[in-house]
Amino acid sequence: MNRFNLVKLANSLLPVAFALLIGAGIMVGMGHNPLEAYGIMFGRSLFTVRGLTNTLHMASPLILAGLAIAVTFRANLFNMGVEGQLLFGGFMAGIVGAYIQMSSPLLHKLLAFLAAAAAGMLFALLPALLRAFLRVDEMVVTLTLNYVMMTILEYLASGPFRNQGAGYVSTNTIRETAMFSRIGNTRLTPFFIISVIIFLLMWFLQKKTRFGYTVEAIGKNPQFSEATGLRVRRNIVKLMLISGALAGIAGAGHMMSHEFNYTLSFSGNPGIGWDGMLISLLGGHSPLGVLIAAVFYSSLKTGADNINLYTGIPKEIVAIIQGLIILFLSIQLIEQRFGPVKRWRAKRQMKEAERGSVE
Amino acid sequence: MDLLNRILYDAVYHMTPILLCVLGGLFAYKAGVLNIALEGMMLAGSFISVLVAMYTQNALLIYLSSIFVCVVLGLVFAFLAVNKRGNVIIIGLAINMIIPAVAGFVLQTMGVPNLTAKWINPAMFRIDIPLIKDIPILGRLFSGHPLGTYISFFMIFVAAVLLYKTKFGIYTRVVGERPLAAKSLGIRSNLYATLAILIGALLCAVAGLNLSYERLGIYTNGMTAGRGFIAIAAIYCGKGEPVKSSLYAFIFGIARALAINLSIRAGGVAALFDIIPYLLMIIILAINSGFQIRNYRMRTYW
Repeated sequence: MNRFNLVKLANSLLPVAFALLIGAGIMVGMGHNPLEAYGIMFGRSLFTVRGLTNTLHMASPLILAGLAIAVTFRANLFNMGVEGQLLFGGFMAGIVGAYIQMSSPLLHKLLAFLAAAAAGMLFALLPALLRAFLRVDEMVVTLTLNYVMMTILEYLASGPFRNQGAGYVSTNTIRETAMFSRIGNTRLTPFFIISVIIFLLMWFLQKKTRFGYTVEAIGKNPQFSEATGLRVRRNIVKLMLISGALAGIAGAGHMMSHEFNYTLSFSGNPGIGWDGMLISLLGGHSPLGVLIAAVFYSSLKTGADNINLYTGIPKEIVAIIQGLIILFLSIQLIEQRFGPVKRWRAKRQMKEAERGSVE
Repeated sequence: MDLLNRILYDAVYHMTPILLCVLGGLFAYKAGVLNIALEGMMLAGSFISVLVAMYTQNALLIYLSSIFVCVVLGLVFAFLAVNKRGNVIIIGLAINMIIPAVAGFVLQTMGVPNLTAKWINPAMFRIDIPLIKDIPILGRLFSGHPLGTYISFFMIFVAAVLLYKTKFGIYTRVVGERPLAAKSLGIRSNLYATLAILIGALLCAVAGLNLSYERLGIYTNGMTAGRGFIAIAAIYCGKGEPVKSSLYAFIFGIARALAINLSIRAGGVAALFDIIPYLLMIIILAINSGFQIRNYRMRTYW
């Protein structure tokens, strides 16, 4: 491992360490033992078979959501609509799962996945086209479309598609043919395997194909890429569609392996799409990094429930830690290019140059 | 007529926090720092104001404490974004995540689902303006609102003057538009960017106060419900110009008021009124941008 990668790794690990440290400080301030709390949190979510399978089960949609964001980050695009795309995908999978009758479980799930992917792509198409052909900031458009999507889905779930029997807003439960069954007596479902396969595909796409390198080039310098003949616009649209499809599939998988009907808290709070943002950042936007970060993040999430159960600490502590991780991730704690000595020298040189120009 | 009056009143009512955020956020926008943390800062303002109001009835103390907390958040944001050159979007998202988490943590520790300051009766914050009160339509628009609303109206002018008529405003705009030119003139870019962010934090505190303390005396987690993002959208649409951006904030207020008032007649479908301002905004952004790039003749990418 060369120096560059080492710095990169440190820049991912240090924020986590700092955030855990501050979290520990809060716990001490409240009179709890942080070591015990972290022990319970990670021990029960990573080091027991039950906990680990639970963590991997929860990680399945997170991997896809993280990939959805990472793939656009590489090209310097910000698809902040992953949350909305995921909700739309999950909702569509729920509708297909509940209202269409099919004898073959395999085909039924496939159809639900297709519908969800199409929904996610449809949602991503508008910001992609606006970005590519009218230069509208895709971040603002995707952010606002999230609210549009949430409002529409809330209306659909509480109006036309509401399950009249339920005491709260929810759609009908999906049919058994659309439900993933568990592997053994763990909570893992085949959806986890699907996630890993998609991860491998994305890794291959990014590292081994021309498209992957094109994306990399667009991210580094779009004007130059266009000048050398890469079709930047076309690739941006493609990329956003891939991102949307991944988010949609994540939602569908979450629906068919965990939720089974669409409620207003379908993706939790903060939603899976937002978690995907953190996962992508934590993983440095590389597929492998996303996979590792998703499992780590998922262990935080399952650990939060245990912390609530076995200690008196509110589980919001985990949300605070998550937020702090993101906050520390926003800056480069260690400079990528220069070591401190070189930076100091560069600064001195610049100062001397300035003095020279004044004289 | 009664319905119209109510819609107008509600429009101003729902516009106020958004307008305050818009006016605060546009300074940072003009200084070239996109402040996504408006949402989190507003929530912090709401949370602290009700938390303090539970223990004291001193309005000044309530105002000062929530402003203080928001300014601290603004300083954190400015330090990371301006001095450390961090990614502003990520910092903003982090603050937006941490505030509800901290608030939730406190709520859990206190063992309550939400904070209530029982002595607060929203009616006592309403200020009627003597003459305007009796004018048919204007009366509903400009009278009978809490203090925050009047601050927001007043701030439109203050922001316009500050941005276009003072040295501070001109320097701030230069820092945002031509960072290198600012540097070559010896303008302390970091200072102006930081000040711009702090103004935003200050007004977010007032927005938060308006949202929880002045209206209900209740704080629930997530009560800002994306208003900060609406404000950002409004700033984008109005290109950071105070009057234009304020107009977009008013459009959001009207849409919200329509959604609420018409839901009595139209039922659940009225909820869909809420999406109109968002769609309108996207269309406006697209048209604006389309006009701008019409003159590009070369095959290029921007």
